[in-house]
Amino acid sequence: MIWLTWRQHRRQALWTAVALAVLAAVLVPTGLSMRSSFEDSGLGACLRALGDAEFVGGEGCESLSQRFANQYGSTAFLAVLFVLLPVVAGLFLGAPLVAREVENGTHRLVWTQGISRRRWMLTKFGLVGAVALVLSVGYALGASWWLGPLAANGLGRFRYLIFDVQGVAPIGYTLFAVALGILAGTLTRRVLPAMGLSLAAFIAVRALVELLARPVFLPAKTLSYAIESPVMANRFAGSWVYQEGVRNGAGTLVLSDARVGCGPNAGADPEGTARCTAHFAQEGFGPGPYTNWQEYQPADRFWTFQAIETGLFLALTALLITLAIRRVRRIS
Amino acid sequence: MTEVALHAEGLGKRFGRTWALQDCSLELPAGRIAALVGPNGAGKSTLLHLAVGLLRPDTGWARVFGRDPRHDRDALADIGFVAQDTPLYPDFTATELITMGARLNRRGWDAGIARDRLTRIGIPLDKPVGRLSGGQRAQVALALALAKRPRLLLLDEPVAALDPLARHEFMQALMGAVGEYGTTVLLSSHLLADLERVCDHLVLLHTSHVRLTGPVDELLAEHVRLIGPRLPDGAAVPGVAEVIRASHTERQSTLLVRTDGPVDESRWTVHDITLEDLVLAHLGASAGATPSEVAA
Repeated sequence: MIWLTWRQHRRQALWTAVALAVLAAVLVPTGLSMRSSFEDSGLGACLRALGDAEFVGGEGCESLSQRFANQYGSTAFLAVLFVLLPVVAGLFLGAPLVAREVENGTHRLVWTQGISRRRWMLTKFGLVGAVALVLSVGYALGASWWLGPLAANGLGRFRYLIFDVQGVAPIGYTLFAVALGILAGTLTRRVLPAMGLSLAAFIAVRALVELLARPVFLPAKTLSYAIESPVMANRFAGSWVYQEGVRNGAGTLVLSDARVGCGPNAGADPEGTARCTAHFAQEGFGPGPYTNWQEYQPADRFWTFQAIETGLFLALTALLITLAIRRVRRIS
Repeated sequence: MTEVALHAEGLGKRFGRTWALQDCSLELPAGRIAALVGPNGAGKSTLLHLAVGLLRPDTGWARVFGRDPRHDRDALADIGFVAQDTPLYPDFTATELITMGARLNRRGWDAGIARDRLTRIGIPLDKPVGRLSGGQRAQVALALALAKRPRLLLLDEPVAALDPLARHEFMQALMGAVGEYGTTVLLSSHLLADLERVCDHLVLLHTSHVRLTGPVDELLAEHVRLIGPRLPDGAAVPGVAEVIRASHTERQSTLLVRTDGPVDESRWTVHDITLEDLVLAHLGASAGATPSEVAA
C-alpha cells in the first residue's frame, strides 16, 4: 500500500519539490540580504536592547527603523503569497486523493483487492498527511526566518497575515486544507469541482476565524498614558493593536489612529510641553487632560493565540477526516 | 450438492428514494458461467457491487462462498472483479499493476499468471496502460483479476466499450482462463449476443427485480413457443404454468410459455426457443420494457 501510494503520487512529489526549490531560490537570497542589513545597520541590536518593554522613552530606534522599512517594507507583501500556500497543498494533495480515483473508476480496482478500504484510507490519508505536515513545518520555519526582521521592525508578528505564516498556525492551516480537499473530493467525486469547493470553503473558514474568532480568543487589554508623558508605548513590542487614539478628559476619542507625544523628549523644552498641550485645547478637542489610549493584545500572548488558532484548525481537520471516512465507506 | 458460489437473499439497495435493486434472491452454483442480463439501469452493476462488497445492502444479504464480502477480508480474496470500463491507473505499466496486485494481495497472488497471459497475447508490459488500446486494457484488467486466483470472477460489462474483434478476443481469453482454472463467473452485459454462446446460467434483471434465474438448459427446456388456433381471451392452456408473451391474429395465437406438464400437441405446434427469444419475451412482458436494447 505504501508502494502504491508512492507510485501514484511520485510525480506530484517531484513537482512539489521543484516548486519549493524555486521558492527557496527567491526567498533565501532576499532573506539573507535583509537579515544582514538588519544587523549591519545596528537596527537589530537597537531593537533587542528595547526588548518588549511596554514603554520607551527617547528616540528609540525610529530613524534606523525608518531606513530599514523604506528599503524592505514592500517585500512584506510577499507574505500574502505565503498565506496561500496551505490552500495550494489542499488543492493539489487533498482534493485529488479520493476524487481522482472515483472519477477514473479506479476505486473499484483498488478497493476490490485484498486489503480493506479502511486500510487504504489510513495509509493514503496518513502518508499524505505526513507529507503535508513536513511541508508545513518547513514552510512555517522558513517564513518565520524570512519575515523575522520585518516583524521585529514594528510590523509585529501578531498582525494579520504575519501571524498566519509563522509559528505553528500554518501547520494547522495546511492539515486543515488537505482534509478539506479530501472531504470535498468525497462529496463531488470529481477533481476540479473538489478543488473549487475546497478553495471556497478554505477562504470562508479562514476569513471567519481570522476576522471574527481570533480577536476574541482572549479579552483585549487597554493602555492609557498622558500625552505629556516622557515615555511612549513601544511600537516595536510586537503587540496586536486593535485601536488607538487620543481621548480627552471626558473620555471621548478625539483623534483616532494617532498617538501624540508632547513629553519632554518630543518637545525640546519644558515650555514646549505646555505649548503642545495648550495647542490641543485650542483645536477644540474638549477638556483635558488628554491621554493616549490603545486597545491591544500584548505581544506575550502570541504563542497562546498560535496555540488556540492551531488547535481550532486541528480540531476541524479531525472532524473533516472523520466525515471523509464516512463518505468513502458509502462510495461504490 | 454443489457448493454455492454466490448466494443472495432478499438483497436490496436504495439510492435516495429509488431502489436500484430490490428483493433479489439467487443462488449461483460453483463452476457455472452465468450471464447477468438486463437493460441499462436494471441493477446489474448494483448487484455486482453488492456481491464484491463495494456497496452495503439496505436489505437482505449476499454471501460469496458463505462469507460476507463487505466485512470478511478472506471473502474479498476469493473474488476477482473487473469493473465497468475496466479502470486501471493510466500512468502505470502492466508490470507496475502486477506489482500493485502483489502488494495489495498478500495471499494467493500469482504474478506469473498475469505476466504469462499478457506476454502470450502480445501486450507490452512496460508501456503505460493509458497508451494501450481499449481491448488491450481490458485484457490487462482481466489478467489482474485472474492473478488473484479467484474462485468467483465478477465482470461488469467488460466488453461494452470494445469493438467486435476485441470483444471476441476478450471472451475467448475469458473462456480459456475459466476452463483452465475452473473459476465460477458472473458476467453482466446488455448485449446478449456476447453471452449466449458461452453461458450455462442466466440471471435476468429487469426494473431492479430478478425476472428469471436458473441453468440455461433447464430454462430452455421448460419454455416453448406454441402456435395454434386463436385462443379465446383469458382461456387457460393445460400444461402451461405461465404465458409470458402472447400475440394473436384473427385465426392464430402464438404463445411463449413456461410449461409444467405435457401440452396438447394435437392442438399446438411446439417450437423450441433460443435464449434470446426467452430474454426478449420476459423483458417484453414487463411494462415499459425496451427489448431492442437487450437484443442490440
